[in-house]
Amino acid sequence: MALPKHLQNGLTPDELTFLAEEETIDIVPLFSMTRVRLLSGIYGPFTPPSSAKVPLWLALSLKRKRKCRIVPPEWLSIDRVQNVLKEERENAESFCSLPRRFIETSKVLLDVAQDDLMQPSLLRSLLKDLREVRQAKIRIGLQSEGVMRGSYLQVTNLTPLELSELKPFLVKAMGIMQSLEPRREDDEDEEEGQ
Amino acid sequence: MDDDYYSLNSILAENHKLSCSFTLDVEGLGYLEGGTENNIHQHSKVELPFWLAQTLSLNEFTTFPLPPPYSNRVKAALNASAQSVKLSNLVGGNGWWYRWGRRIADVLDDEPQADLLNTLLKAFINRLPALQDLSAHHASADHTLPESSTSTTETFRDGMEGDERELFAIGQESGKMTRNWYDSNGGKKGGR
Repeated sequence: MALPKHLQNGLTPDELTFLAEEETIDIVPLFSMTRVRLLSGIYGPFTPPSSAKVPLWLALSLKRKRKCRIVPPEWLSIDRVQNVLKEERENAESFCSLPRRFIETSKVLLDVAQDDLMQPSLLRSLLKDLREVRQAKIRIGLQSEGVMRGSYLQVTNLTPLELSELKPFLVKAMGIMQSLEPRREDDEDEEEGQ
Repeated sequence: MDDDYYSLNSILAENHKLSCSFTLDVEGLGYLEGGTENNIHQHSKVELPFWLAQTLSLNEFTTFPLPPPYSNRVKAALNASAQSVKLSNLVGGNGWWYRWGRRIADVLDDEPQADLLNTLLKAFINRLPALQDLSAHHASADHTLPESSTSTTETFRDGMEGDERELFAIGQESGKMTRNWYDSNGGKKGGR
């Protein structure tokens, strides 16, 4: 099947957000219900004020209908994000390990469940700073020794969102570099053999 | 780079003539020279399309010097400052400098081949950082206002050749997609 050009290179951020919504999160329901069987599993029972574990997509849907309050995940507190930001800034060589769906989850929670988070505007600006620090490191890494030789790029601890932004450019650039490499003896023999 | 038979880019890139000299006399093909001679004489120069020149040269019926886009003058300019060389108008058409160079390199002997490929590779590597910065900048900048960029970035942008332009578009596109996602609000804020 032929995809339109902008979908050909990898997952779009919207698709990655959709995948991120599979993760479980805690909510405090504002309604009462027994256990419910959905296609993806059995959730509940929902008895306020105790919390329940549901997938993120369900939590967001309930939140939009004002039927629950979302409990922010423990890595989304101001202190934790500030620590991560400090580590990123100090560590110029590598990236900090973040929860895999960090960026997508935090953005979606900030959009939908702003009132359940502490100091959302501060959180937003911290996350923006974090993203910019990581982007700057990516840009420096793209001009590193390994890339210039066309061999490799160190991407430990990059989240899927950053990777999918990076991938099309890097793959094409390395492809061009590889095709411009001087021909070697064994390569020519291989080609003739085919 | 795709060398696919059906790739339009590679077809366009090869669509150039090479000026070759025959190594022997050929009877009856005088019309290739455009004159009224019946035969081609040894050492006469003829402009041949690449597909013909490639086969003839591989079989050693013709030889050709390195064409102007890859001359020593261009090499020296690249050594001095790779980013300020305008690669887009060195080769006619849409300017596929790297691809055309690769096709020529396939026909050369080992040493000039390695040399030419090295020149191409070094030029690409030296232009890559500027390309990345430019595409990252264009992914996030607002383009409703005319930009007053510095002279080197302007010359670089005008001088990008075909493959570099594609790379730039890809980088800009993915950057823009991520930025739009960041700035969007989800859009489905029903019932607030």
